[in-house]
Amino acid sequence: MKLTKTEMTKLARRVLAQASVGDLRVQIDARQQGNTRFANGRPTTGGDVDQVTIAVTAAQGASTATATGNATDDAGLAALVQRAEAMAALSPENPEHMPPLGKTAHDKVKARDPAVAKMTAVERDAAVGKALGAAAKAGVEVAGFVKHETRVVVAGDRAGLMAAHESTSVSMTTTCRTGAGGSARRGFTSHALAGLDGEALAAEAAQWAKRSNGPTAMDPGRYTVVLAPAAVAELLGFFVGAMGARAAAEGRSALSAADGATKVGQQLAAASVDLWSDPAHPAHPASPMTTGGEPHARTEWIRGGRLLALTASRYWADRAGVPARPKPSSIHLSAGGSGSLEALVGKVGKGILVTRFWYSRMLERRSLTVTGVTRDGTFAIENGKIGSSVKNFRYNDSPLNMLARIAASGTPVRTQGDRVTVVPPLVIEGFNFESVSDAV
Amino acid sequence: MLGAPAFLHPTRAGAHEPAPATHPATAAAADAAIAASPLPGLARFAELAVSQATDAGATYADARLVRWRSDHVAVRDDHVSKLSSEDEIGIGVRVLVDGGWGFAATHSVDAPSVRAATKRAVSAAKRAGALRAATGAGPVTLAAAPAAKGQWVSPHAVDPFTQSVGDKAALLLDATKAVLGVAGVAHARASVAVVGEDKLLVTSDGTHIHQVFYRLMPQLSATAVDRRRGGFASANHEAAPMLGGWDYVTGLGLADAGVGVGQLAVQKLGAASVTPGVKSVVLAPSNLWLTIHESIGHPTELDRAMGLEADYAGTSFLRPQDAGQLQLGAERVTLMADRTQPGGLATTAWDDEGVASQRWPIVERGKFVGWQTTRDQAAWVGEPSSRGCAYGQRYRGVQFQRMPNISLQPGSEGYTTEDLINATEDGIYVTGRGSWSIDQQRYNFQFSGQSFWEIKRGRLTRPLKDVAYQANTVEFWKSCDMLGGEGTYRLGGSFHDGKGQPGQSNAVSHGCPPARFSANIVNTAGTR
Repeated sequence: MKLTKTEMTKLARRVLAQASVGDLRVQIDARQQGNTRFANGRPTTGGDVDQVTIAVTAAQGASTATATGNATDDAGLAALVQRAEAMAALSPENPEHMPPLGKTAHDKVKARDPAVAKMTAVERDAAVGKALGAAAKAGVEVAGFVKHETRVVVAGDRAGLMAAHESTSVSMTTTCRTGAGGSARRGFTSHALAGLDGEALAAEAAQWAKRSNGPTAMDPGRYTVVLAPAAVAELLGFFVGAMGARAAAEGRSALSAADGATKVGQQLAAASVDLWSDPAHPAHPASPMTTGGEPHARTEWIRGGRLLALTASRYWADRAGVPARPKPSSIHLSAGGSGSLEALVGKVGKGILVTRFWYSRMLERRSLTVTGVTRDGTFAIENGKIGSSVKNFRYNDSPLNMLARIAASGTPVRTQGDRVTVVPPLVIEGFNFESVSDAV
Repeated sequence: MLGAPAFLHPTRAGAHEPAPATHPATAAAADAAIAASPLPGLARFAELAVSQATDAGATYADARLVRWRSDHVAVRDDHVSKLSSEDEIGIGVRVLVDGGWGFAATHSVDAPSVRAATKRAVSAAKRAGALRAATGAGPVTLAAAPAAKGQWVSPHAVDPFTQSVGDKAALLLDATKAVLGVAGVAHARASVAVVGEDKLLVTSDGTHIHQVFYRLMPQLSATAVDRRRGGFASANHEAAPMLGGWDYVTGLGLADAGVGVGQLAVQKLGAASVTPGVKSVVLAPSNLWLTIHESIGHPTELDRAMGLEADYAGTSFLRPQDAGQLQLGAERVTLMADRTQPGGLATTAWDDEGVASQRWPIVERGKFVGWQTTRDQAAWVGEPSSRGCAYGQRYRGVQFQRMPNISLQPGSEGYTTEDLINATEDGIYVTGRGSWSIDQQRYNFQFSGQSFWEIKRGRLTRPLKDVAYQANTVEFWKSCDMLGGEGTYRLGGSFHDGKGQPGQSNAVSHGCPPARFSANIVNTAGTR
């Protein structure tokens, strides 16, 4: 069975044909993945994986259940549908069960690059070989990962929904370490192969690893920081995760207001901040649909620093009288600025440059305070220049503070991660470092 | 070879164990699990892959057939919110050719698909071998392991997949009803995840083993909301995920515990905010297990210490030469790795390379002494054989080094939790799992919890909130000055320990008594 929209849609129709209940839904997620991992100047593990997941949801009235499997033969599909229907019959009613979507329009998004779909171990190992060579030439240790994937997602139901989206993705990361306390990571991620350059990634990581040699400890406390896009994206992810309308209305969120209200309409961020989703962005395409078939439309979440919208399930949208908005497949942040990271550093007299955060975890939901550590290059900023390397910090701070305390910003770029995230480097005032870490 | 591993260790005799974990697998239950498995009927495809690989020049090959089943039932307040069931089968083929690893996996378990996957694995391995040679790296070498043959089923009384999803939902709805009965509680959630991992491994060394595991993760939580002042607080039941049967879940008495969970959420809403500073912390097992996992478990993974995880999970503050040399904790601190531990989520009879499960010291009387290894790592630290830590998630995850159960051994004084509290002048008693974060070399960590009580002059004085403790790993373990006795020992654990690229998840447990340390207390309330 070929991994195409046509073949996977046929598979979805074969599932629906097995139904004996009126409300039967199918989701198919089929992928071909390949990867090579390397460390200590050599390839370590790798793999090529074909997988398919078929999820069937059956409902009898408000009693509903989902059965998932990966058999694609007729007997396997029939058994899967029977399992879902039998479970639904045993399930207590779910008053939040919503009727099937039926025929639904989605944006057309071109997110499949044939060059990625054709990739094998030959192409990825070539990129690895170049990265290993660049690191050896620079005299640093290197570790990294190359991954490519072709994916088809199909959602269908008996009320007329039959939607499919195909995409590719390719990414590479390289981490170089010097043995003198220096470490740096650089990465590439896109739906398209053009621009993947293992040699350039490793060479840049090697250069910055050397620059971060010999870190010295600075006292923890509040600093003006320049957050590189990777750091911005990590902290912003916690805000995106907290954008649920239901939790906000039920008083369980940092976006709750008193007496069952939410903070929609409030000025949450600096006046320069716009936050939006755009699955059809030509350079950074994302899925125009959820795996269940709900559309991802272009959505403005924050404009001019004011919170405009929250995510809402179909059930909550119906109950609260707000638009249904699934968790976004892409996030774009702008704070009105442009220019490189180094140009942004030039605007800061004294502060700290954070390349990356690591092991960030929710610490306190009421204020959306997050904890984590800096990693792979933390530097003092002195008189608008990147100065000496400093030891990593543990931070305890909130993305709400980050968005509210933006003093300047650069040009948005795509960052690593599953969700398409395009964010600029930011200058943040009064960022809270709690303690120092000896980690490299 | 059902029930073959020796499960009970003398040092654990008399310790409190979760009831089902010590329940012996009845011959009937184990036979039923093996008889119901479809994998023996597919074993010829694993054998096909291994023979094809060796014919193509592989010096080692293994094929893992894995059936992965899971049930997930969740309720929210007074109704079911999720009811799902998964059942998938696939095969993963790993080969060593020209000194390089190759791996391929497919969900289609038929001869053409398995042949194609094996061909891809061999091709990738040759390329990896050539690249290793070109960079001057030597070939991958494997420590010897005797051929293993047999079957093993994790001990259980009641197969969790024999319980209907309707019955599971009813049990959870009883629990949330109890939580919602507490004044001040606005919302309740409960869920149970059940995983059945069924795997059959064939290797070119002659290993042919079949194992079935049942793991369960029950959860119950309450949220109290102060709508007038805009505050909220949540509390979770401290039940640990466990290797066992459905009888583990029914034995928890979730409905009876619901009131306590609800009361804790309400109590947290009105608790006093903590005053930061260096204090004694008495950590209950329900909290300490995760600190063990992050600060001892991960840095003693040999692949991390050797730099193999440098691009993702990180490395380690420990170096290969530190084994047997570095004093990592106080003399009373001994931690054992144990893949034979009753109820342990990482308990097994053999690992995913066919190496028999073992028990060995990681930290002995405060000194770091032992690594976690696989067959291709043992030689890196001069050991003749693997510690049996290879695991691959489902059919599609390549085997690599994953954490065994690692547990802090109880103290010899026989102290109770009350003894630890009574002996503390100024401190905080912390229970349950909260926020957790640690750096990429495992030096600096910060952990929170579920409940916090102020200790003054040996007494619990008042509940606290906004508490996290922060420390350096070695300083923390060296500060350990009291341990509970055998009667206080409990297991905690995680269903989802992430590592690797692409990311894989491993289930693992950590046992411990309550223990007392010194740590820097930080206030986690907002930082605006």
